[in-house]
Amino acid sequence: MSMQVCIMTPDRIFWNQQAEEIILPTNTGQMGVLKNHAPLMTALDIGVMLIRTKVEWTSVALLGGFALVKQNKVTVLVNQAESPSTINAEQAEKTYQEAQRQWVEATGAKEKVEANFALKRARARLQLVKKR
Amino acid sequence: MNEGSVMLGGVRQASQLAVKQRMRSVTNIQKITKAMKMVAASKMRIAQASTEKSRGLVQPFLKLLGDIPDADVEKNVTVAITTDKGLCGGINSTVCRYVRGMSSMYSADEGKEDRLVIVGDKGRAQLTRTHPKKIEEIIQDVGKVRITYAQASTIAEELLKTEYDAARLVFNRFQSAISFKPTITTVLSPNALEKEVEAGGSLDQYEVEGPDRAELLQDLGEFQLASMLYNALLENNCSEQASRMSAMESSTKNATEMLSKLTLTYNRTRQAAITTELTEIISGAAALEG
Repeated sequence: MSMQVCIMTPDRIFWNQQAEEIILPTNTGQMGVLKNHAPLMTALDIGVMLIRTKVEWTSVALLGGFALVKQNKVTVLVNQAESPSTINAEQAEKTYQEAQRQWVEATGAKEKVEANFALKRARARLQLVKKR
Repeated sequence: MNEGSVMLGGVRQASQLAVKQRMRSVTNIQKITKAMKMVAASKMRIAQASTEKSRGLVQPFLKLLGDIPDADVEKNVTVAITTDKGLCGGINSTVCRYVRGMSSMYSADEGKEDRLVIVGDKGRAQLTRTHPKKIEEIIQDVGKVRITYAQASTIAEELLKTEYDAARLVFNRFQSAISFKPTITTVLSPNALEKEVEAGGSLDQYEVEGPDRAELLQDLGEFQLASMLYNALLENNCSEQASRMSAMESSTKNATEMLSKLTLTYNRTRQAAITTELTEIISGAAALEG
């Protein structure tokens, strides 16, 4: 008795397995979903999604999208997804520092928005490797 | 052109050379089309993999929002997805035929507006002749390096700027190496989506996290457009390679047939020339003796 979790990006199906509990990074904060949740649709912010299978917690960095929950089937549709194995810890740290610096130095609406986006992305990827 | 060193049998020799020239050019064509076929075959194999993967994202959208071909809206925009390069069989003509059909359907109805967005050079060539005024935008060099989701997003953004109600993507869906079906996918704009949902759809049963359902639907609509467009581009690209493969295959076969016919003609003329030479020599010798 668990949920079927399916993470899809435009290029491929990223993840498709059973899980007990998931924590989604929505626009309004972290949100946990257990089995038999009411049908739900939500937008996802750039962040880390945690998945608990019977054995362990896995984390996946999501770069913005949507999540649909219905009848114990969770469908996550995102632009991009990354798992910890593909991220280099040192590089992630460096990218994060750089992104922070850029965010502070950004001027003008467009630059600020781009810097914000890059910062969130770097933070998500860093969180992913740190959790390991 | 290299004149024959022996000018015997004037007319026949010239045609012998002409046949030989023709044979050489047909052989070259045969080699080229054979190579093109193999290139297209390998490209198709690679394209097939990414096409099938991109279908995964389209399914949930179809299940959730549905494909509503008979949506009654005022502003339609038709997106014709064609290729940049030629020699790929009839797929571009098929797409353009459908677009023309749809266009006459809309123009027959008062109060319905329809615009055209063309992806690909071949589509542009065909449609600027027949519907020059309806064209909103032409997009070229899409698959030049690789088709990426970023490209599809950019095209989607351009589309959204035209403020349409429903977008109809016309492309060739790849089914197998010999079968590509022309397909029309209807994607409602985010605004029209809101209206359809209020009319009561499967979307209602979902609770929405966060304050604003309208905003969520807006984002969802945009995401759907980009994903459907990405899938359509990949499918058409795959169909292009498969169609080119079969076009080049039949071209090679025709070249081989033509070559065998020409070889027969060449040998016949050659033998006739030799026979004439011999006859002249023998009769000349006989005349000298006698």
